[in-house]
Formats: sequence, structure tokens, C-alpha cells
Amino acid sequence: MKGSRSQQKRKAAALAEQEDSVVSPLETAMTALAGAGADSDAAVHSSDQAPDAGDSGDSDGGDESAEDEEDEEEEEEGDELNDESGDEDDDSELDEIDPDEWPSSSEDSEADSESDETAAARDPTVKVLRRKVPYPEIDPVYDADDSDEETTNTIGNVPKEWYEDFPHVGYSIDGKPIMKGTEGKKDQLDEFLSLQDDPNAWRSVYDDVEDKDIVLTKEELEMVKRIQKGEFPDATSNPYEDQVEWFSSQTLATPLSAAPEPKRRFVPSKWEAQRIMHIVRAIRSGRVVPGAKKPKTTDLHNQNFFDIWGDAIEPVDRGIMHIAAPKQALPHHDESYNPPEEYVPTEAEAAEWKALDAADRPKNYLPRKHENLRSVPGYDRFIQERFDRCLDLYLCPRVIKKKMNIDPESLIPKLPNPRDLLPFPTQLAITFKGHKGRIRSFSIDPTGQYMASGSDDRTVRLWDLLSGRCVNVWTFDEGVASVVWNPSKSLSLLAIVVGPKVNLVSVPGVAGPEITAATEALINHIATLQSSPTTAALCQWMRTGPAAAPVEAASDAEAPPPPTRFSAGARLVLTFDKAVTYLTWHRKGDYLSTVSPDANTRAVLIHQLTKRVTQNPFKTAKGLVQRVTFHPTKPFFFVATQRYVRVYNLASQKLATKLQPSTKWISSLAVHPQGDNVIVGTYDKRLAWFDMDLSSKPYKTLRYHKQAIRNVSFHPRYPLFASASDDGNVNVFHGMVYSDLLMNPLIVPVKTLRAHQTVDGLGVLHCEFHPTQPWIISSGADGTLKLFS
Amino acid sequence: MGTKVKKGEKGAVTNYITRAQAVKKLQISLAHFRRLCILKGVYPREPRNKKKVGKGSTAPRTYYYRKDIQFLLHEPVLHKLREQKIFARKLSKAIAKQEWTQAKTLEANRPEYTLDHIIKERYPTFVDALRDMDDALSMIFLFATLPATDKIKSEHVRTCQRLCAEFQHYIMISRSLRKVFLSIKGIYYQAEIKGQNITWIVPFQFSQHVPTDVDFRVMSTFLELYETLIGFVNFKLYSELNIVYPPKIDEERDSGAAGLTAYILESSVEKDTLKALVAQADGDSAVVKAGKGQRKKTRQRMASLGEKLAEMEEDEEAHDVDAAEDEMDTDIPQPIVAATTEEEVVPTLDAWKAKESELTGLQNLFKGCVFWMSREVPRYALEFVIRAFGGEVGWDASSGAGSPYAEDDTRITHQIVDRPQPATITPSSDAAASTSASTAPAVAPKRYDRREYLQPQWVFDCVNAKKIVRTAGYHPGETLPPHLSPFVSAGEHDYVPDGAMDVSGDEEDALESSEVPADAMEVDEDEGELVADSDDEEEEDEDEEDAAAEDDDEDEEALHQAELAAEAAGLSFSAYLQQQASNNAAGKGNKKAAAKPAAKKQTAAEAEAAERKELAIMMMSKKDKHLYNKIQFGKQRKEDAAAKLREKKETLRKQQPAPVATPASKKRGPPASGKKQPAAKKGKSA
Repeated sequence: MKGSRSQQKRKAAALAEQEDSVVSPLETAMTALAGAGADSDAAVHSSDQAPDAGDSGDSDGGDESAEDEEDEEEEEEGDELNDESGDEDDDSELDEIDPDEWPSSSEDSEADSESDETAAARDPTVKVLRRKVPYPEIDPVYDADDSDEETTNTIGNVPKEWYEDFPHVGYSIDGKPIMKGTEGKKDQLDEFLSLQDDPNAWRSVYDDVEDKDIVLTKEELEMVKRIQKGEFPDATSNPYEDQVEWFSSQTLATPLSAAPEPKRRFVPSKWEAQRIMHIVRAIRSGRVVPGAKKPKTTDLHNQNFFDIWGDAIEPVDRGIMHIAAPKQALPHHDESYNPPEEYVPTEAEAAEWKALDAADRPKNYLPRKHENLRSVPGYDRFIQERFDRCLDLYLCPRVIKKKMNIDPESLIPKLPNPRDLLPFPTQLAITFKGHKGRIRSFSIDPTGQYMASGSDDRTVRLWDLLSGRCVNVWTFDEGVASVVWNPSKSLSLLAIVVGPKVNLVSVPGVAGPEITAATEALINHIATLQSSPTTAALCQWMRTGPAAAPVEAASDAEAPPPPTRFSAGARLVLTFDKAVTYLTWHRKGDYLSTVSPDANTRAVLIHQLTKRVTQNPFKTAKGLVQRVTFHPTKPFFFVATQRYVRVYNLASQKLATKLQPSTKWISSLAVHPQGDNVIVGTYDKRLAWFDMDLSSKPYKTLRYHKQAIRNVSFHPRYPLFASASDDGNVNVFHGMVYSDLLMNPLIVPVKTLRAHQTVDGLGVLHCEFHPTQPWIISSGADGTLKLFS
Repeated sequence: MGTKVKKGEKGAVTNYITRAQAVKKLQISLAHFRRLCILKGVYPREPRNKKKVGKGSTAPRTYYYRKDIQFLLHEPVLHKLREQKIFARKLSKAIAKQEWTQAKTLEANRPEYTLDHIIKERYPTFVDALRDMDDALSMIFLFATLPATDKIKSEHVRTCQRLCAEFQHYIMISRSLRKVFLSIKGIYYQAEIKGQNITWIVPFQFSQHVPTDVDFRVMSTFLELYETLIGFVNFKLYSELNIVYPPKIDEERDSGAAGLTAYILESSVEKDTLKALVAQADGDSAVVKAGKGQRKKTRQRMASLGEKLAEMEEDEEAHDVDAAEDEMDTDIPQPIVAATTEEEVVPTLDAWKAKESELTGLQNLFKGCVFWMSREVPRYALEFVIRAFGGEVGWDASSGAGSPYAEDDTRITHQIVDRPQPATITPSSDAAASTSASTAPAVAPKRYDRREYLQPQWVFDCVNAKKIVRTAGYHPGETLPPHLSPFVSAGEHDYVPDGAMDVSGDEEDALESSEVPADAMEVDEDEGELVADSDDEEEEDEDEEDAAAEDDDEDEEALHQAELAAEAAGLSFSAYLQQQASNNAAGKGNKKAAAKPAAKKQTAAEAEAAERKELAIMMMSKKDKHLYNKIQFGKQRKEDAAAKLREKKETLRKQQPAPVATPASKKRGPPASGKKQPAAKKGKSA
């Protein structure tokens, strides 16, 4: 089978050759004409071949005589070749073998590759030579692959340091460890010594896989030398072997293809004719002028400019969305080559400019001053700037930004002049000094002549308001949280909150003797009453301190002051479980409410003096109670927790409203004397004004303090309110509430009083208006009280 | 029941299209898309709500207006670009196959597009085109100076040079240049054509540093558009002046670096219509590129034309000015006055007249001045500026051919020099002969007595001042006064450097009086005033207070009366007080010097006003407060910058009294006048 296939192949090759030869007559003739004199031999050869090709269409064997002739010629050529390359001496004798025999022998030589055969078929020279070579043993050429080299160590291609700590270097093919040789890896001294002793040391190489020295053979040394020289490692390889012309211009006797000449070779192309006619028609019609150069339309010199805007103007609307590119900014003085001296940047400014990122620089150039025009250098960023402009024009998104062209002053609201809203406190009148700690609280007595102040220094001081004189000092064993006068004018009763105790002290001398007597009588009357069990459970009422001994606590700290007319009289002590932070009186002075935020459900308690009753109005705690207040006219009760202000109707015992100032932490609360408006101060610096008729949301929220608001307060008579803050300021507002329900309250800031210093982040802790005068008093963390009139 | 509107089918989403979508829709490559955008003037937009447009995504994307892309869809250039793409493919194939004839044919039929329709489309009216000339001119003037490389084709450079020269010629003939400014980046020019201010920048004449990170393909696309635009604009401008476009180029001169003078402008109308203008008025024989016979003809024609034109031009200008005046005097006032008998018309007319005369004055600023430029002076810029304002200019042969007259011409009035030392008056020819050829240029040139030797900045300052500026300080070797930008209009709080305001005084005779040592003329008025003020202030104050005390007693009764009247009128007390204060100020203003005490009183009032303002700010809403603070911040930044400059100037003045001493001593020469002046001024202002 295989033999027949090769035969077919050969046949095909012969046909192909024949085809070549069919093409060749013209070429050969041409070459013959061209090199007539010079290469006569070739010319003869080709002319010989021409008729050959003609009749050798049918047979494989071809003409014998022709073949012979060829052989002779080739013999000569072969000899010449042999002269050049002596290696192929033995080939010459093979030439003698008769070419007639080759088809049969080729059939025998099946081992030869097909490519060889076809190549041989093309070139008669090679064909003959090849045929005579006795085929050597097949050498699969595994030389390049060193995998089959004799290695005793079978660990493979792994790092050798893995075996560093072992006594062996690897394993033999039997799986037995190969122990490290004694010679092993030598140190330098050993190496040197062996170099001296061993004659073969210079040609030995250490093999770390086998862990032994290998002595190179002579051949290997030669190879190394050649590699070092950059030559082929193999000495026998010849890089300059003669090229074998497998494909030549020579016409072969046996063509590779015997296909007949196709018809298209003889018939003029139809499609070419069509194409030509196309051009001809174009020329006839004048569309194409042969040889004429087409003028370039983009060439400006040939471009015909005309009056493009000549015709009637038709306004083209590019639409509302069209945004024209803004023009580039015109240069400023500092871009001048000779700017005024002040525009030239100093070294520091220049350094600052250079340190900035190019995109962040306000201007992309550094002003420079040149003495004269000739010293101005070229600007090296000119092209870059033009390019940037180009990029801006086509890549930069455009958007119309409306520039606010308004007078900023018009934004400021027009308020009535504060001068028209007089009276209000404007300046500092009196400073009360004496306290050594923060003054948490103070209170002005209902007559407006005296003031009691309680401080963190554990004292309560009584001041004559108009003279600023400290009349009396009471000392307690804890800091005073709150000091509040009973608002009733028929009593002179002072509530002092110290820790979990509320002291209700009668202060003789502040009011008239009848009033003092009435107060004492009230306290004595309460003392005679018995607490109900519910009251007793909530707090403990106790009568202490007879008129002779004013304060039992004061005795230990300092020498008690001599009993004067301002010394404390009878005292009633209410003791609670938890510390009380805030206390407030009802307008009539019979009720008071205390706040002790830690006491969960008992945080807010309401006490009635005349009946010695304590009530807990709330069954559940609604949150951390900050402040409580009685409504000035109605039976309402305000409870300010952290977030909300709840307003309870005490008569119907229901929640009336819940005010939501939408702030984080309420600090203080004040109710307008008429009762419909509430202000809430917060630790997050805001003041919220609620109009209870309007909404449960603030009518106005103001944020003007820089620190937390500590206290807010309404004036009982004048339309004034104030806020005190940790930033040391007291802001006084005109807050007019109209009786007409349709009119919104008028809020006008009238004065900012800057009086107190900030100590440890605390400024003004409390502020309160004088009950009758348009004055305000503030107490601060700096231990002073200040009266502004 | 309406149909349900799906998301993304209505509203902003449909108005915008991303770049990727646009490229896909147009079926072209991104490079071609960019090119098309440049040519058609399509630009990306910033949608108001990116999230809506991006269908929920706020990723940074480039959005185009959808209608813009639809507008590109029917663009002939788009088809041409596609053809070009196909052409490129065919060509590369032909080259790869080594089919040279095929390649040649293809190359001959390379698809090309014109931009005429785009120009018409983008600039529907001529004024639109003029409005958009800034970038175009700057670009063209840049490319005119660039060397031709593999990226910049030489034909583009040549075209740009030509277009620039043509445009400059128009500016010179129409006298429409208005402002010039020498900056560190280059020279800014501003011209006014048809009421449009066109500003462009020209680089200094150095070889340009070509950066590597500049994409010249983008630049050349822009250039393509701008070349066409300016070509059409030039055509229109020339045809409006009845000049043939394009003007011919005198090859000989052009090769001799004659610059602007190499262009031959010809009237498109018959000669006798008196409407011909030529750049070169003295009528040198000019030789045109054409054959010899034609050359001769042109020469003759040019000779005759030039002479005629020189006459005509002068006549015309005189005529123009007269005509303008005549018009103003005779024609226009009558109908207007007849139409409206009100008073307001008259001042506007006067203003218009004044403006017009000012303009003609500016246009003929250098009329009668004959300049000579030394070779170190930037010739093209100065030649353009001087001739654009009616001056004549000649130059050294070494800086180019085509100078209309030689250096020793007696008509020359100004010589522009930019050398370190003023030349000595008598250069001996022997000395020049004795020195070697190489040192010959270093020899001081002859100095002519009757000329003004000036530095180039003088020309530019004259233009910006709109009058012939005094030459003191501009002579060679002198320290030049600062050169200020004419484009700055100082705002309320901006810093205004010295000399930014026009120097007062009659400048007409400055030219003649320049040989008189030009000292004592430039009085730094501000400085004088400052000094005077500090002395006078206190005295005035005292006087004022005395006077006020006297007045008080007399006025008391009247005051009470006024209060009653105010109450009756329903004024609030504070308002009344304010009114009173202002009345007082006004009343006292009539007296000798009322300004200072009023100011002092105001400080108290101001403090109160400041407090009131502070209180009012408390009541502002959050939004308003934010806006207010933002505005104030911006203002403050500006003021800070101005204050910094002021401070810097003050320190500089203190630091170097010595260099200022020479002019300052002159300034302070008459100290008495310096004191009087502000007083007089105050009187006037009051």
C-alpha cells in the first residue's frame, strides 16, 4: 500500500514539474536571449529541454537519451561540487549507478521520508545522490535531551539545600540514600591543596547533585573552549553548508503537474475589459481627465473663499441648551513683562507657588519683572496653554452656573432698631465677688432687694442687691445645686438644695417682721403635721434648726456667724433618696416641685407645704428629666426630658402637649409670664421658641451661641428674655407676645452682654431677670455674679 | 387613566447620552468622534442630576446632549470620515500587496472634506464669527511661528503666516486696534471690529518649546477649522473694504523677510472710484511672482497706484475726520433735537461726539510720527502697532527687507532703541573702519539730534493711554515705568497700582516739550496728598470741634422743635436721630472742613451699626447665613489680596528710598504746592 502511495506522489510531482515546464518555454527563451553569449551552456540546456517538455506529458520514464545527457552534465557539476567539499568523496562513486534502476530501489526504500522523496523527485541531482546512500541506523537524536544521562542521584530537580542537614545527598535508583562523600564540598584551603596535589584538579568540576568532582574529558574541554569562543559546541557541525537549490528556474524534465493549460490563459479577461470600459466611459464623459492632477480641496491656497455670510441673515437658534464657550480671562497687571514692583512675588511666595501642585495654583505663571523688552525670554508653556484651551473647548463639560449677584446686606433681615425697644439691660452695673467656686444658682427675693446665691464652694451667700454687699454666708457640707426664693410675697422662705436634701429656710430681716413671723409660723405648723405613709415613702419631712442655732452644718467649718437679723431662722428639711438637681416653686408658693433625675420613677415630686404632702405624679419615668416648671396661670406642669418637653394638665391628669424642639439635649426651659410661649435652651447651642397655640414644633429656632446654652429666662414684666451660654455671653432679646392671636411673637435680639470668663469650658451658668426692673443678673463659673442695668 | 411611564423613558435621561453610547450610535471610532466634535462644536454637558441621568449610577461619565449627537448623525463630514477610514484600509492593503499603481490611484482620490458649511452653521452671522475669533487668532498666530515638523505640516505653517498677515493688514487699514499689552507670555492685542472686542495673543519671536505631551492631532483639527474660519472672515473683511482677496505676495520681498510689506493689496473697484488702499504707500516697485511681462505690468501699475494711493489715503483720512465732524455738527443733531425737546438728549449726544472724537484721536495716534526701529527691536510687533495707529515706520535692513526709508532720513522723529547704553553722539567713521568686522556692530551708531530715542514700551504705553505719553523714563538706559495691563477694570475693593489711572495734564505739547528736561511734570499726586493729610488732620479736627461747640448752644431750641416735628410725623426716635445726624453732617459739610469730625462721630455710630448688624445676623436663616458667609469670604479674600499688595508696596517704598530719590526730590520740589493741592481738592469735593 505504502509503495503505491509513494508512486502516486511521485506521479503528482512529475505532473507538477510538467506544468512548470509548460510555463517555462517563454521564460527560458527570454533567458536564452538575454544571456546568449555569456551562458551558452545554459542556453543549450534549456533549448534541449524545451522539446523534451513538449512530449513528456504521458510517460513517467521519459526519454532515456535525454536522461543520459542530463546525467553527464550533472556528473560534471557533481565533480565540481566534490572539489569544493571533500566530505562527500564517497558520493562520487555512487554516481556511477545507473539511473534506470532508481524507480525500483525507491520502492524498496520505504524508510525514507516522503519529503525527501518529493525533494528528490524535483531535483535530479539530489535524487541520484540520495538513492545511493545506504541508510544509516536511525539516530533519534536524544543528545539535546540530557534526561537520560546516567545519574545515580534520583532526587530530581529540587534545591540542594533541602538535603543540607542530612547525611545523604539523595537516593539511588534503588531508593537507598546516597551518603555525602568525604570529599564533599571543600573549603577554600582544601581546594587550594587539592589544586596543588591533584594533577586533574584544574579540569575537574564539582557536581553538587552527585556530590563529587567530575573530571572533564578532553572532548568536553574542547567543547568548553568552543563555547567560550562563541562557536558551535559540536566540532563537526558546519554552519556554512552549501545551499541546495530545491526550487530553481530550471525546467524539469518531469514536471510536477501534467494539467493542461487552462483556457483563461488564452482568452482576454472579461472583467478587465469591463473595468477598462468603465474608465473609458469616465474619460469620455469628462469625469476623469488622464494625467490631470486633482486639486486638493483642503489646500488653502486653492480653496475658494467666498462671502459666506452674504445671503440674507437667517437667525439660527441653537436652542436653549446651547452654551457658548467662555472667553479666556484677560491678563492682569501681574502678567506684564514689567509689572509694578509689588506684584513681583517674594522668594517665599515663589517657593510656595512652586510647591503647589500645578492644578492647584491660582495662576499658572509666576510674575517676573524684566528691566527691558530685550531681556524677556520666550514663554515655554505657550503651546501647552493653547493645547489646554483646545482641550477645554471640546472635552470640558459645560454647565450654566448662575452667579448670585445680590447685595449680601440685603440678606440681613431688617429688624427694628434696639433703641426703640428700650428698656433692656445694656451695661454692667455691679459685680458680686465672694464665691470661690462656680455659682450654680441664685435667686432674687420677691421684693427684689436681696439675692441668694449658691455655689460649688458649699456656701450660700445673701447679697444686698443694690449695694452689692454680702449680708450673710451659710456653709453646707456639699455644693449647692439650687437656691430658689418662695415667690409668695407674704413669705420669706428660701429653698436651698444641697445633695439629697432640700432646706426650706426662713430668712428673717429680708422682709418685714410680720412676714418673718408668718414664715416661722408656717414652718412650725408644718412641723406639727404628720406625714401620710405615701409621703413618708417618697421623702422625709423634718423640722430642724431652732431660731437660736441657725445651721448645724455650718458649725463645723467655720465659726458660725453671730445671729443677726439676716441669719437663718426656722428650717424644714426634706430628705430624698437621691440627689436633687432642680427645684421650682409654684406661683402661689404653696407647691414646690423637685427633680432628682437618678430616682427613676420618683424623679419628679410635687410637694404641698401647708398639708405636708409629697406626691409622685408620674408612675413611669419618661426619660432623663432636666427641668420642670409650673404654668404661671393654668394648672399645667412642664416636664423637660432630654429630647422633649411634655406639658401635663394637672387638673385632668393628662398629657396636654408634647413640644419637640428637635434637638439632642435640652438644658433649660422658661415659660412666658402669660403662659402661651415657651423657650427651650439646649446643650447643642440652640434656642427654640414655642408658641403653644401654634404648634408643638418651634416657631423659631435660633443658633447664635458658640457653646451650650445653660439657662434661659423670661422677664416677669418686660417683654424680654435672655439666654446664658458657656461661651460667656448673655444674649438679651426683645420677645413681644401680642394679645392678638393672629400676630406672631416679635423676637428681636437687642443686646449681647459679654461679662463672664470661661473657666474649664464653663461660662455663664445661670441668669435671671430682676422681678421689677429691666435688669439681668448672671452667675458664672468664674465665681462672680454680675448685674446689668 | 394615563399610561404608566416607565423609568428612563422621560425627562433628563432621554436628554443625555454618554460618550460610549454616542460613539456606538454614530458608528465611528473615538478618534473620529472627537474630531467631529471639534469641528462641529459639540461639547459634553454636565447634567443637573447625574444620578437620574445615569440611571442610578453616579460614576464619572461624559454626557453629551442627545440632540447634539443626532445633529452629528446627518453631517456630511461624518460620511467623509467613514470614507477616509475605508480609504486608509484600502491604501494600506495596496501598499502591503505592493500594488503601487493602485495605491497611487487611491491616493489621488483621497476623500477630502470642506468645512464651509460648518462655518456657516456654527456662525450664522458675521458677528457670531467675529465673537469667536479669539481662540482662532491665537492658534493661528502660534502656528505661524512654529517650525514645520513631521507633526506640523509646512503648508499649515505657511497658510497660518499668510492668514495672520492678511488679518493684520486689515487691522492696520481699518485702524481697529485698540489695546496692546506686553506680557511675559507674549503680546496681547485687542481690536474692535463691528463692535466686537477681539483679543489674541502672539508669542514672542523665539523658537517655540514644543512639549512632548501635546497631542498635535487635536491641535491640527482645531487648526483646520480655524484656518477656514479666518479665511472666510478675512474674505468678508477685505471685501467690505473693497480689497481683492487674497492679496498677492511679492515673492522677492517675502524671501527677504519683509513680513507685512510683502503683501500687495489691490482695490477691487476701478481706480477712479477713490477706494484703493495699499499697505506700502510710498510705491516701491514690486515684483509679482508671475512671468516677466506680467511682472513689468505689475511694477508699473504698482508705481502709479502707490503714488495715487499715498495721496488718496491722506485725503481720505482728512475727509473722514471732517466728514465725521460734519456729520455730527450738521446732520444728526437736528432731527434728534426736533424729535425730543427734553434735556437728556443733549448730553448723550455730546458724550457720543466726545467718544467719537476720542476714537478718531486714538486711531490717528501716531499720525505724523515717523519711527525708525533698530535691529534689536521686535520688528513685526512694533511695525504692526505703529502702522495700526497711523504712524510711519522704517527699520534696519538687517531685520528684513522692505523698509520705506533709510536710517538717515530727516523725517524720522522717533527712534526705537532697546540697548543698554545710549549711544555717543559722534561716532567717528575712522574708528569704525579701524575696528575689525566682527566688532563693527558693537560700535555705537550715529546719534541724530532731532530724534527722540525711546524704548519700545513707550509705543505700547502710548496706545494704552490713548495719547502720546511723556517720554521721560523711556529713554534708553533709563528705568522704565511699570507696564500695566489695559484689560483690567478695577472693582470696588481691588488694588489699583500707581499709574493705572490716566496721568492728567495736557499731552498735546508733550512731544514738543520733551527736549525740556521732563522733570517736575509727573507729580505723584497721591503721595503728596498723603503727606499733607497727616499734617493737617489734627488742626482741622480741633477747629472743627470748637466750631461745633459754639453751634450747639444755638441749636438747642431748634433741636427741640425738630424733635416735636418728627414725633408728629410718626418717625421712630432712632430714625429721627439718624436723620438728625445726617442733617448735621450735611449742614457742616458746607462749612470749611466738615469731613473729619463727622467721620469721628461716625465711629461711635458705626460701632453701634456694627453691633446692630451682628444682632441682625443672629436672626438670619441658616441658608441665608451660609450664603452671606460665602459672599463675605470671597470679598474678604479679595480684600486681603489687595491689602497684601498695598502693604508690600509700602514696605518696598520704605526699603528703597535711594532709587526713588531722584524723581521724588523733583516731585517734592515745590512743597507748598503739595500741601495746597489737597486742601483745594477738599474744598472742591465739599
